Amino acid sequence: MKSLIVVGAGLAGLYAAILASSRGSPVRLVAEGRGGLSLSHGCIDTWKDGDVRLGSTRLAPDHPLRAIGHRPLQAALAAFLEITTRAELPYVFDFDMSLHLPSPLGTIHTCAAAPRSLAGGHLADPTPFHLGDLAQVRDFSAALVASGLRHRGIPFSGTLALPMPVPSTAGRPDLLTLARALEDPAFRESTCNQWAPHLQGVERLGIPACLGLDRSGEVFDSMRSRLGVDLFEIPTLPPSLPGLRLERALRREAARSGVELIEGPSVRGEVDGRSGGRRVSGVVATTAGGPRVFRADAVVLATGGPLHGGWLTFGNGEVQESVFGLPIHAPEARERWTESDPFASQPYARFGLRIDDRSRPIDIHGRPYFENLFAAGGLLAGADRAVEGSRQGIDLGSAFVAIEAALA
Amino acid sequence: MTATPQSVPSIETQLAGYPFLDADLCLKCNVCTAACPVAAATTAFPGPKAVGPQLARYRQPGAPPPDPGVAWCSGCGVCSRVCPHAVPVAEMNIVAKGQIRPRGLRALRDWGLSRPAEVARWTRPFRRIVAAVLGSFGFRAALEGMVGLARTAPLPSVATRPLRSLLSAHVREVPTDQASGKPTVAYFHGCSTNDYEPWLGETAIRVLEALGVTVDLPPQVCCGLPLQSNGAFDAARQRATFNLAALQAWAERGLPIIGTSTSCTLALKHEYRAVLGLSGHAVDAVSASTYDFFEYLDQVLRVPPGSLDLHPIPLRALYHPPCQLRSHGVGTPALAYLQAIPELELEISASECCGVAGTYGLKRERYAVAVEVGRPLFSQVAQSRVDLVLTDSETCRWWSERHTGVPSIHPLMVFAASLGLQGLDVARGEPSTT
Repeated sequence: MKSLIVVGAGLAGLYAAILASSRGSPVRLVAEGRGGLSLSHGCIDTWKDGDVRLGSTRLAPDHPLRAIGHRPLQAALAAFLEITTRAELPYVFDFDMSLHLPSPLGTIHTCAAAPRSLAGGHLADPTPFHLGDLAQVRDFSAALVASGLRHRGIPFSGTLALPMPVPSTAGRPDLLTLARALEDPAFRESTCNQWAPHLQGVERLGIPACLGLDRSGEVFDSMRSRLGVDLFEIPTLPPSLPGLRLERALRREAARSGVELIEGPSVRGEVDGRSGGRRVSGVVATTAGGPRVFRADAVVLATGGPLHGGWLTFGNGEVQESVFGLPIHAPEARERWTESDPFASQPYARFGLRIDDRSRPIDIHGRPYFENLFAAGGLLAGADRAVEGSRQGIDLGSAFVAIEAALA
Repeated sequence: MTATPQSVPSIETQLAGYPFLDADLCLKCNVCTAACPVAAATTAFPGPKAVGPQLARYRQPGAPPPDPGVAWCSGCGVCSRVCPHAVPVAEMNIVAKGQIRPRGLRALRDWGLSRPAEVARWTRPFRRIVAAVLGSFGFRAALEGMVGLARTAPLPSVATRPLRSLLSAHVREVPTDQASGKPTVAYFHGCSTNDYEPWLGETAIRVLEALGVTVDLPPQVCCGLPLQSNGAFDAARQRATFNLAALQAWAERGLPIIGTSTSCTLALKHEYRAVLGLSGHAVDAVSASTYDFFEYLDQVLRVPPGSLDLHPIPLRALYHPPCQLRSHGVGTPALAYLQAIPELELEISASECCGVAGTYGLKRERYAVAVEVGRPLFSQVAQSRVDLVLTDSETCRWWSERHTGVPSIHPLMVFAASLGLQGLDVARGEPSTT
């Protein structure tokens, strides 16, 4: 079985490592710190209009989703759902229907799949809902969500102030502390006791994401049945529970399937000189002691986009991918990297590596740099993932294609 | 040999020139807060970001710390490892925590906990009496009341003879002559192996020799990590300076320095530079030459696990990579060798830290939190019904054994038994005499 090194521990890297390892491949996952999952909403976005099949979406010729193709994307989503179900963090997904969920600002977040506890917030569901503020708890405002929804003409039944038992010594608990506390059945019971009198006539209730960390399924189910209310969660500021749960679930799955996790060191790529420079042989990690060489049959780069260290700019004007130093094409004039309107699509967001249909980085002539070097996720060029709402679709799709090709 | 300690600058001077302690690198993303095992165990700890990069800008050398909450940091290092922006969060917090030191009798306790080699040397002649007294619950309760040493915290027994005396034939002032062409290494045993578990050092040397390696025991003192963890930076720096002067001779000849205690090797690789602020050729050379035992087999000796003639070990074991090993950034090199052992059923620990973090969990004021940090590991041990826990750090072993009742030994002991070099007495952790 071919051995693999995956660089990066965000969604693309963890998912790629699990896919390869569960097919029996020896996998090392090397990451300079943790990825962006704990900052994310934990949902799977494929396109802003919720087009899961990407049938009607007009993709630019160099868009990574075009190189990935819609069938592999669907297969990637299916494999993701299988992994999260196995990890006891089931996601809600329907090919024929996208989900429209309230954001913490009261905007509408359209996605292809969401964790069960978030999916209940689907705004197309006609069941009336309230929004709940949790007394003393930081980082969420039901009034802010309400004003956003009102502005967009989305009907809801009002906001509620819910009292909270304060967990042990904490003053104003953050949502992570609360999530951990709610895994304790006694604290959960006293919370339900405090809430129950305020929930007369409430059918559906949106609250900030706080229903457990590693045992969110148990917390969600037990509170829903105890209160007799259709609870749903709204994601919040980092650390964002839905993203954190996904990260932890994927890390557990990775460990369970035998992935060796090397966390901390930065790495540089190593080219196999014996192949005449056509292949890579692994990476050199800058560890606490000295440099250490890790070799494998293939390397998958999942190091992220401009905000995550996947590519770097240097004082001499060069822009390079950060592990193998592959060139990143960007205008020399830096003023052309950004738009003056901060909410417009930013040109720099589209910088990155172009890939072939096997998810291998290619040069300007369309030829892969190396036979056995693959790239996935935010490092890929041609997409403004934030504006398009294509982030997780690209992560999963490109990682899936990369693993299929790397292990072939 | 006598190594002359260089003049050691004060911690204030060190802090002033610290390029590493740059709080401005922090994005406030909270990745470290979410990963911190102490913050998960107690709300008393505001988390590594809040007490670290966030407060670092308010700290002045010599001034009292603005928030005593940093004292809850166990120093496990998870925060630095998970930081996506290379902020040395743990290092920053260990330095800040060092400014908060207990007074009175608890200072005496910390003084003793930081000097395991000295304590062993002084108590060795009376070791049976000491062991009997320490085994008395009444005495431990009194000790807890007086100096704040947690009454149920595990304390190791001093061995009859230290490793250096058992293996005096291996002691070298300078590296063994290289004429033979055999690979040669320096073994850094640390004080735990020298004074409390000498059989581990004997086993390490037995295995290395079986693989054709010449093993030297260079001059060495305690790595200084217990001193550093208890805020005694100047004393830690003196130990470090001695070790660097002694080990430099091996490092400069390109000879690896091997350790079986992942915290000692982390001190040599990383803490001397990143926390004690030492710089220069010796510390760089020693850092780059230091390897964990199994890392050496994999990276330097290049022994493929599949190439060894390994005997079956029909046991179920849980392997827990200690937090300090994870901070090496080399993965879990022991695992591939353990996986190659026939009939050894392995489960992998899902916990970042066992809780004790060196001497942290031994203190009465931290004990309950340290147990809470370790609870996920203890539950996994209980649920998986393993015969033994394998972990590369001595304090993890003693702590895990105390709280799970399941014997805990170094992976090397199982590996050596599988190689057929010695027996395995699971319950005692020592090689069996048969």
